[in-house]
Amino acid sequence: MVDPKYAALFLTESREHVRTCNQLLLDWERDPAASEPVNGLFRAIHNIKGMAATMGYTGVADLAHLAESVLETIRAGQAATPDLIQLLFRSVDALEKATDGAAAGTGEPAADLLKALDEASRRAAAPAPPAPTPAAKPAAPARKGPIGHLVGVTIRPGASMRGARAMLALQRAEALGRITALRPAATAFERDDFDGRFSFHLRTDAPMPRIEEAIRSAGEVAAVAFDGNVVIDAEGPVVPARQIRVDLRRLDAMMKQVGELVVARNRILALVRGDGSELAELAGAVSRLVSGLQTEIVAVRMTPVSEVFDRFPRLVRDLARDLAKQIRFEVEGGDIELDRAILDELGDPLLHLIRNAADHGLERAEEREAGGKPPEGRVLLSAVRERRSVAIRVSDDGRGIDRAAILAKAKRDGLAEPGVEVLTDDLLLRVLARPGFSTAAKLSGVSGRGVGVEVALGRARALGGSLEVHTEAGKGTTFTLRVPLTLAIVRALLAQAGAERYAVPLAYVAETVEFDARAVTALRSREALVVRDRVIPTVHLRDLVAARADREPARRPTIILEVGERRTALVVDALLGQQDIVIEPFDAPRGMPPYLGGATILADGAPALILDAAALV
Amino acid sequence: MSHTVLVCDDAIFMRTMIGDILNQAGFEIVGEAESGLQAVQKYRELKPDLVTMDIVMPDMGGIEAVREICKQDPDAKILMCSAMGQQALVVEAIQAGAKDFVVKPFQPSRVLEAVQRVLG
Repeated sequence: MVDPKYAALFLTESREHVRTCNQLLLDWERDPAASEPVNGLFRAIHNIKGMAATMGYTGVADLAHLAESVLETIRAGQAATPDLIQLLFRSVDALEKATDGAAAGTGEPAADLLKALDEASRRAAAPAPPAPTPAAKPAAPARKGPIGHLVGVTIRPGASMRGARAMLALQRAEALGRITALRPAATAFERDDFDGRFSFHLRTDAPMPRIEEAIRSAGEVAAVAFDGNVVIDAEGPVVPARQIRVDLRRLDAMMKQVGELVVARNRILALVRGDGSELAELAGAVSRLVSGLQTEIVAVRMTPVSEVFDRFPRLVRDLARDLAKQIRFEVEGGDIELDRAILDELGDPLLHLIRNAADHGLERAEEREAGGKPPEGRVLLSAVRERRSVAIRVSDDGRGIDRAAILAKAKRDGLAEPGVEVLTDDLLLRVLARPGFSTAAKLSGVSGRGVGVEVALGRARALGGSLEVHTEAGKGTTFTLRVPLTLAIVRALLAQAGAERYAVPLAYVAETVEFDARAVTALRSREALVVRDRVIPTVHLRDLVAARADREPARRPTIILEVGERRTALVVDALLGQQDIVIEPFDAPRGMPPYLGGATILADGAPALILDAAALV
Repeated sequence: MSHTVLVCDDAIFMRTMIGDILNQAGFEIVGEAESGLQAVQKYRELKPDLVTMDIVMPDMGGIEAVREICKQDPDAKILMCSAMGQQALVVEAIQAGAKDFVVKPFQPSRVLEAVQRVLG
């Protein structure tokens, strides 16, 4: 009897192997003559087999064994046909299902697949073609691709802004190859207490001296160590990061506790403010410790977006097969990091957007060639770090969305005035995201897009982010999903309107200015403010929340909100300073105005509403 | 031939100081900009070998200017000039394409070291 605690471990590790398998199969499909993918697949499947057998999951072990036998025939010289690769794709899917099923105590692999695998390995064994390549030796390390190094770097202790220096060193290294497994996460480089040590994995074929030279060219580098070789310098050893696995629920629980701690901390600080007592001093010390703890836990939760991105190449491949289209799928910025909790929410909306791009965005090869485009369509999934948010884009180089058709539809539905002649990107998004849009509209090239956009927009807003669309006829469409780096605890600016207080997440605050009646102008019949030569539409918080019309203050501070490229000037009664707030999950009641993004408890214990910047600009 | 430099800072004081440090080391200051927008325009006109860039400026900040300049010329050699406590912004500037940075108050030796690294 195997201890049940191993079941979870088995599951996590098997899933990682399945992911690796999918990646390797894709590589292999692109270059069927390469031997590295075959060896990698063999190792991964062999590992699953060993673990499954130990757990007593015979169904999984048998399936893995058969898949392994097929791979064995290829290592022995059997040609890798598209059919064979497809069979292995199916096997990996079945393995994934079988491992999940086995751990849950249900399910056996499909018999027909087992039979197909068995036949494939026998077919190869029977005629015994003379093995033409020396790849038959299982141990042959036929590495062709670039190799990697684990690199540890220490920035000189006295250097100013060691984090920024570390970022420079990292970029010099990145010029030589691909960086993964960066520890600590890049966000640590922005902190003043960063101790100047970091490690990463660099996939490159550059020799070690060249890597070291490149890193040292960033300046202020005290030490560079390779592959766990410990180098002693004045500050002690550079140690490659050691890792353990932690149940995500534990991290969630910790995050929640820290959130409450932050609220309590804020209240204590408000109580002892400025009284100069020993208690106030102690409260200050506790406050700093809590901040440190908070940063640490957020950093622990940061996960590279590749965790979610990695599942899409396989998906697009299958889609391309189903749709009979040629699709080149590219991923950029996979190493950008996000809070695990946010990342987990992105799989769905991205899936919809990518499917839309492949299905509705890209034209068929004939149509593309007729339009003077390469027959192969391109879908790009990319992540870019912005100030306090991450922008994730899904772009295609397809036909673009038919604005005229959408505008006509918008007019029919009363979403646009009859006189409107140009469909802006904003209005386009609103029309696309209308529930039931796709089924209602049978417009060419747009049907089916609706569901995905609706899901993506809803998810983005729930996460405190935004969704934008940009489309150009004949050139393609880009959806930009913008989400905050982390959830739960955010720094916010507190503002007052009437008797109520509101919190505006700092991530979307570009600056604050004084409302100047002389700078008021009009922009498309809306009131707007001129701030340093830019015309920015205004929103008066008082009007928005219908605050009781007691006397309006003489001076009115204005918060310039910025979401992507768009700006809005939010005029408030007073600014009340900044505070860390804990966003309380908020099941939006029916009819709740869209500009409210949640609620929070302020330092004095009173509740406040959180304004959703994305809905205001 | 001496290297040409474009100095971008909204404070005359800082422009003069950086200009003096670089002049004395034999660089030729070919232009000055007091906003991010000007920096981008002047970069296009002057094609300097080196740009020193303040972070906080009106009309497009330094980071956005770096992004714009690097879009036009990925090999642009830009040195960020930062005040203490702006580490997060410096990190962002580097991600945007800046090649090195110095922290105010400036020590001439530090500035020149950074310049040498950038021109490498």
